Amino acid sequence: MGDAAAPGASMGRQILQILRDNVTFIVFGLVTIYFILTAPNFATLGTAEAVLRITAIVSIMAVGMTFVIIAAEIDLSVGSMASLSGMIGALLLQGGLSWEVAVVLTLLFGIAVGAISGLLVTILRIPSFLVTLGMLSVLSGVALTITDTRPVPIISNEFANFLWEGTVVNIPAPIVWTFGAAVAGFYVLHLTPLGKRVFATGGNAVAARFSGVRTGQIKLLAFMLSGFTASFAGLMLAARSTAGNPSLGSGLELDVIAAVIIGGTSLFGGRGGIIGSVIGAIFIGVVGFGLLVLGFSTSIQEIIKGAIIIGAVAVARR
Amino acid sequence: MSNTPTDKLKSRPGTDVPPLVEMRGIVKRFGDNIVLRDINFDIRPGEVHALLGGNGAGKSTLMKILMGVHRADRGEILLSGQPVAAADVGAAQQLGVAMIFQELSLLPNLTVAENIMFGREPRRVGFRIDRGAVNRMAREHLAAYGFSIPVTKLVESLPFAQRQVVEIVRAASFGARVLIMDEPTSALTSREEEKLFELMRSLTAQDIGIVYISHRMSEIMQVADRITVLRDGRTNQPIPVAEAELDKISEQMSGSAGPVDPHPVLTETPVAHVRSPADRPALQVGGLETARTLKTIDLTIMPGEIVGIAGLVGSGRSTLCKAIAGLLRDAKGQIEIGGQSVRAGQSHKVLGRGLGFVPEDRRLEGLVLDHRLDANVALPNLHRLGVGGQLGLVQRSQMSALFREAIQGLALVARGPDQYAAELSGGNQQKVVVGKWLASQPKVLILDEPTSGVDVRAKADMRAALQRAVRETGLAILLVNSELDEMLALCHRVLIMERGRLTQTAPSGIGVVELQALLLHSKDASLAEDALHG
Repeated sequence: MGDAAAPGASMGRQILQILRDNVTFIVFGLVTIYFILTAPNFATLGTAEAVLRITAIVSIMAVGMTFVIIAAEIDLSVGSMASLSGMIGALLLQGGLSWEVAVVLTLLFGIAVGAISGLLVTILRIPSFLVTLGMLSVLSGVALTITDTRPVPIISNEFANFLWEGTVVNIPAPIVWTFGAAVAGFYVLHLTPLGKRVFATGGNAVAARFSGVRTGQIKLLAFMLSGFTASFAGLMLAARSTAGNPSLGSGLELDVIAAVIIGGTSLFGGRGGIIGSVIGAIFIGVVGFGLLVLGFSTSIQEIIKGAIIIGAVAVARR
Repeated sequence: MSNTPTDKLKSRPGTDVPPLVEMRGIVKRFGDNIVLRDINFDIRPGEVHALLGGNGAGKSTLMKILMGVHRADRGEILLSGQPVAAADVGAAQQLGVAMIFQELSLLPNLTVAENIMFGREPRRVGFRIDRGAVNRMAREHLAAYGFSIPVTKLVESLPFAQRQVVEIVRAASFGARVLIMDEPTSALTSREEEKLFELMRSLTAQDIGIVYISHRMSEIMQVADRITVLRDGRTNQPIPVAEAELDKISEQMSGSAGPVDPHPVLTETPVAHVRSPADRPALQVGGLETARTLKTIDLTIMPGEIVGIAGLVGSGRSTLCKAIAGLLRDAKGQIEIGGQSVRAGQSHKVLGRGLGFVPEDRRLEGLVLDHRLDANVALPNLHRLGVGGQLGLVQRSQMSALFREAIQGLALVARGPDQYAAELSGGNQQKVVVGKWLASQPKVLILDEPTSGVDVRAKADMRAALQRAVRETGLAILLVNSELDEMLALCHRVLIMERGRLTQTAPSGIGVVELQALLLHSKDASLAEDALHG
């Protein structure tokens, strides 16, 4: 078991292997250093806080998405799920419910919609790409129809504080939530039987089933989790803008999927991790923020972001 | 091109006619593994030459060399007496060698006519395909062999037997002089088989030579002119079918007259380690059936007993294994494992919880190749690792400990628990699959072809580990194995499976040759029975 022969050579190979496995993180580090050296006042605590705030929404959604993608499925509906959840939360508050109840009910809604997608995928065996593409359209349509495209203002301070404005020992709430989601996601995905089964389901569904894993149930849970995190992120978005807005989350699914893939999770399932996804989300945030500070327009940012995503996936492929 | 079958004047080829294809002294090795040692094989015009041999004997490798997919390491191939180098499939096709695969190579989304005329469609002025002419010519080709399949139908809408006809007619219409048919009847009904044999007769009447690969002796006796047996990478002198005797062929297939096996086989039948007659059965199956394959299977295995299922390809052995594990939703009947009943489609309730299942294809069904070895071993054991169910903590140290426990006594060659399953050799991969189930401490272990493609030493290691588990824990084993010597060395009892039924128990103390003969015979018996009732 020990490799006694040529320790020097094997050590070199190991280092090379580690570099190859973490190439996206290395690129991330280099890009950050570049910004620190060139962008004025980039290397400040304020910048870090701002970036983490910006990326909190995507990071949290990426946690749920990581489960879905590792189980070899995809969830395209998370963006409109976030929009609709923000709307529902705002409407429930407007209807006079306490903010705690509104939050819980909205999250239950997110889980339920995830369950519907999951059941369509596992029982009717419709590819998740199609199911969630349809769901994207349905949810955003509902969000727009509910109030005839009007935003719903939120006046509950507790709600806004809990999700966005408040702090815990001086750390802003979005950063606390990101951290919480990452820790919980890491625990479940990497340290529990459930997580191991998610990996096995995406790695080889037949072998998993032949080993007693209920692959359908695992996929269903992954979709429910993704619905939950998307819904939670939607509430955070609503808290940030103190209103439910039917188009707040539109297009977010692309950032979320990009974050997960940049983080080293295989789009074909079976390989990846939570930490990578969160770092991927932060990476996207850093690039956006850095380019902004350097004075690039948002249109140019989009181009560069797209190129980085393709590049990251190209080098991360084994 | 449009050649009609000439009058059925059966002019059996004499030895003076030069063979269409002759292979001489073919040697082929893959790495250290010598698959073909010394092969001599020829095909004469107008004959059906049957090629027989057990799993892994090298039949498909030989045919792939003939097709030009593989290149022989030594030896020569002569076409009509002229030496050629069949470098690739294209060349082989030009030489007139075509293979009818079990997985047909037709394009399912095109019509019958488009398939038959593919690549040589008659054109109108310009580049437009003359549809009418395509259909007419395809119809003529089919009619030449007495078939009237609607040529405008999509191939995917045809039943399997008709697709096969289309494929064969297409090959013949391209001017193939040698057709290789690999188990062509495995998916056919008796009536369809008759049709196929008729087609083969009209092909041979045009001096086309056919290589016929099959396990079914009755068919071979019916259609073949000569029989060649392949065993351990060598061929015998072809036997004219008139002189062929079942016993002699069984003997040649099982190779008892050949070189001595390099690994020891127990000479006496192992004695079952049954603890007391009052023991409950470890596995009890009653009236198990599936819509297509299995017909009322009854089976009881006691703790500490190893039971083998012998049968030909397609007899339903693998289906039986999967049905017992609860993996087939359409299975009906009673299954009890250690007193706990198994419902169809509820495999998760038993797998890893008293039942282990080593599936036929370790790479596709047994392992997650992309994952570490410890993760693979842990998969069916997760419910025991995490304290607190699905969301309990599983520590890496627990997984490594389980991995070490699983591979104990299996002599696994691997770097450690963090190596990826894909990096191991076939034999070592199989050891991991066996180990992951032994680690789950099952009452019953089902093994479907556990030793296919596994080297001699790995076989011995696994056999020892299984026997130890049987001795020490009273494990009951259901073993499906096409390698009959392996099966006889391990099993206390061998049951014969034919066409979805367990028909008889092999007499104890039976030898490999007798068992092989029994399998070949029983096939004939069941065919005769089918003919009577069907």
